[in-house]
Amino acid sequence: MTLDQQDDRAPAQVMGIDAGGTMTDTFFVRSDGRFVVGKAQSNPQDESLAIYNSSQDALALWGRDVDQVYPELVTCVYSGTAMLNRVVQRKGLDVGLIVNKGFEHTHSMGRACQSYLGYALEERLHLNTHRYDEPLVPLSRTRGVTERTDVQGEVVIPLREADVRAAVRDLVDGGAKAIVIVLLQSHKNPTSERQARDIALDELKKLKADLPVFASVDYYPSRKESHRANTTILEAYAAEPSRQTLKKVSDRFKKHGAKFDLRVMATHGGTISWKAKELARTIVSGPIGGVIGSKLLGEALGYENIACSDIGGTSFDMALITKGNFAIASDPDMARLVLSLPLVAMDSVGAGAGSFVRLDPYSGSIKLGPDSAGYRVGTCWPESGLETVSVSDCHVVLGYLNPDNFLGGLIKLDVQRARDHIKAQIADPLGLSVEDAAAGVIELLDLSLHEYLRSNISAKGYNPADFVCFSYGGAGPVHTYGYTEGLGFKDVVVPAWAAGFSAFGCACAEFEYRYDKSVDIAVPQHGSDAQKIEACKVIQSAWAELADKVVEEFVINGFKPEEITLLPGYRMQYMGQLNDIEIVSPISAAKSPDDWQKITDAFEQTYERVYASSARSPELGFSVTGAIMRGLVATQKPVLPEDPVGGPKPPKEAHLGTRPFYRHKRWVDAQLWKMELLQPGNHIVGPAIIESDATTFVVPDGFETRLDSHRLFHLQETQAK
Amino acid sequence: MSTYTKEQIGNLVDARLDWETTLRMLSMPKDRERFEMYLEQLQQRVPWKDRIVLPLGPHLYIARNDRNQWRVKCGCGHDFCDYRENWKLHANIHVRDNAEAMLEVYPQLLAPDTQWQVYREYYCPQCGTQHDVEAPTPWYPVIHDFEPDIEGFYEEWVGLPVPAHAD
Repeated sequence: MTLDQQDDRAPAQVMGIDAGGTMTDTFFVRSDGRFVVGKAQSNPQDESLAIYNSSQDALALWGRDVDQVYPELVTCVYSGTAMLNRVVQRKGLDVGLIVNKGFEHTHSMGRACQSYLGYALEERLHLNTHRYDEPLVPLSRTRGVTERTDVQGEVVIPLREADVRAAVRDLVDGGAKAIVIVLLQSHKNPTSERQARDIALDELKKLKADLPVFASVDYYPSRKESHRANTTILEAYAAEPSRQTLKKVSDRFKKHGAKFDLRVMATHGGTISWKAKELARTIVSGPIGGVIGSKLLGEALGYENIACSDIGGTSFDMALITKGNFAIASDPDMARLVLSLPLVAMDSVGAGAGSFVRLDPYSGSIKLGPDSAGYRVGTCWPESGLETVSVSDCHVVLGYLNPDNFLGGLIKLDVQRARDHIKAQIADPLGLSVEDAAAGVIELLDLSLHEYLRSNISAKGYNPADFVCFSYGGAGPVHTYGYTEGLGFKDVVVPAWAAGFSAFGCACAEFEYRYDKSVDIAVPQHGSDAQKIEACKVIQSAWAELADKVVEEFVINGFKPEEITLLPGYRMQYMGQLNDIEIVSPISAAKSPDDWQKITDAFEQTYERVYASSARSPELGFSVTGAIMRGLVATQKPVLPEDPVGGPKPPKEAHLGTRPFYRHKRWVDAQLWKMELLQPGNHIVGPAIIESDATTFVVPDGFETRLDSHRLFHLQETQAK
Repeated sequence: MSTYTKEQIGNLVDARLDWETTLRMLSMPKDRERFEMYLEQLQQRVPWKDRIVLPLGPHLYIARNDRNQWRVKCGCGHDFCDYRENWKLHANIHVRDNAEAMLEVYPQLLAPDTQWQVYREYYCPQCGTQHDVEAPTPWYPVIHDFEPDIEGFYEEWVGLPVPAHAD
């Protein structure tokens, strides 16, 4: 990563890709832990080209190119926003939908909450902002078939075969490119839905129509019909086109001699092959990468409790790792759809470095966001075409950012233009100087993030003093001091590769498949042995079914069943509760009353950890709501860099000079440092600004930082002056 | 504070504005010059010269005529009455007060019992535009929906001079 180590020719091993809407980042790690980050403009028409360009950009820093490096790589993980955009913009495949007769409108109506999902709180409060998006499948391509399975899983009305055949013919005539089948209660009893699937396949064969068929039970056999239907439809609507994109990416890798199999970051925090059956679960992956990276760093450094914080241009995402584990949400929402996918639990607020700044004309207060300048940065970039002030404009005016080195000098920022806009829009109406107005904006952003972080930690019953805070994302290090000040974290860590941290995290993730299935088990506290054995039987058969699916996925990628480590799990709650917790099973197979005891013990221990010992309520009895099977195979992961530690005094050549920097109503001269040239052990006292091409680390007056042997900065408040 | 172009406000009036902008307009504090721009767009869409003082509905306005009287007017130009009167009393009225009439607008069994609720529809006598429908109990008097405080609205809310007024 640093220039003086260029001649060291350790082979590159791991590559991470973060293909965003505007920039495609690549991240290469060598076997000695050194890494480079590359950037290129995204290319929605041909993602593989953007990845190629970004790789060349990164590898140029090592004086190498893709033809040399791709063949050396052992592993490569992709994450991107293309699938999500396809859903948001409704540009997916024309899908045909088969449901129970009488339920044809259910998908179009959707869940009421879908009309305001993704809104800021103040927008949710007003009904006139609520809006139903176009359904993924229009009513014209939806057909009902006669069938009914009741809530207990009994088939009350058997499937009418002729209905299915007619529906399939209709849908094919209507231009459907894939057929999705979602029948009521199929998670409870899959018989009718599987019949419908087989009849549909048979009818398609007769029609000589080569369409894929997606039965919900083969993909997401979970309770909650809207969630299950949406997720299965996504699989056909959005994931099939992504498969084509990924094939193109994979083909280009192969052309340049790559031997690895491309993997994709999935919502459950593992990576799966691009050939995977359930590809819809790769719909969001970018922000998850950061959480996975934090977990790996935490394991290497011995931190059990980590508050992960990621600031980009548009949002602030945070997640908590407690006792080395992140939480999984089982029915999250994405792209304004309720889904049944396991998702790494994260909280987001729509405020970032690119958020627009406006004045409320009536109250005169400053409002941030909810919309943002995104890749257009702010009015400080003359070519942006923007007229509204963004947070970045304030940064530029106050000396936080170097106007000549934004994205490594890729674009030049105009400080005077930003000043003029802030003056006209914010400072003059408030009767403040431009500096004080801009500083007010930064303070407001810092304060809201600070409060958000604090309340999210304490609302879950934790104390920041037990946590180490990791701060990353392109804009994270600019604000780290602001949103951590006074919270009392044990330590605050800023990786030198903050901008590429999500890509790094993706490269850290396990090659892991995960399948979930809803089950309904209820056993009283002192249930009979027969009840416990029956409960074990249900869990075990669900595990066996899921394990088959996991093994099948790995076999597609050429692994043998004995190479796979299977990790069963379950979701459990006290009977009658509304929220369940996910537990990694202490046993690999469930059979006896003794096994049931172990299952409930593990639950109670976790419950005690998450809530409190006194909150345990075994007298209510126990419910298992879901069975989980995870399978993983060994992969190569990035190794943390380990440099010899030198003295606290930074080398002379790292010093770039000074820049006026405004905070707390005064200008000071901040020392400027080149991040890449700082040596482990170096100690820097604020006011200082540490710059690299992709990120800027601000250490104001009252703070100090130290670079450790892993190229992690530790930020501290300076003790009593 | 956001500002919008005449074009955007025009699209807003015609319900052709993109949703992103509509949502931002809805959730942000209202821009100061909006009412003036809005009136200007409405004025462009009516065939008469009287100046609109306040819109009352999608095709109904309070407008100032050449004698500076404020009158309730239909988009087509039909003059209903003085703005302080209830224009409905000058409209053509169609009342649905039996099951048969209800069947024209609702499927069987989904309409209200007309002994408890009737529909009164108000039409422009000149162009036939339906300006309002009310759903009261049968004996209820014609509802006077809106008696705006125009002076207060102009001076205290949007900070504009009150349009000239004859009486």
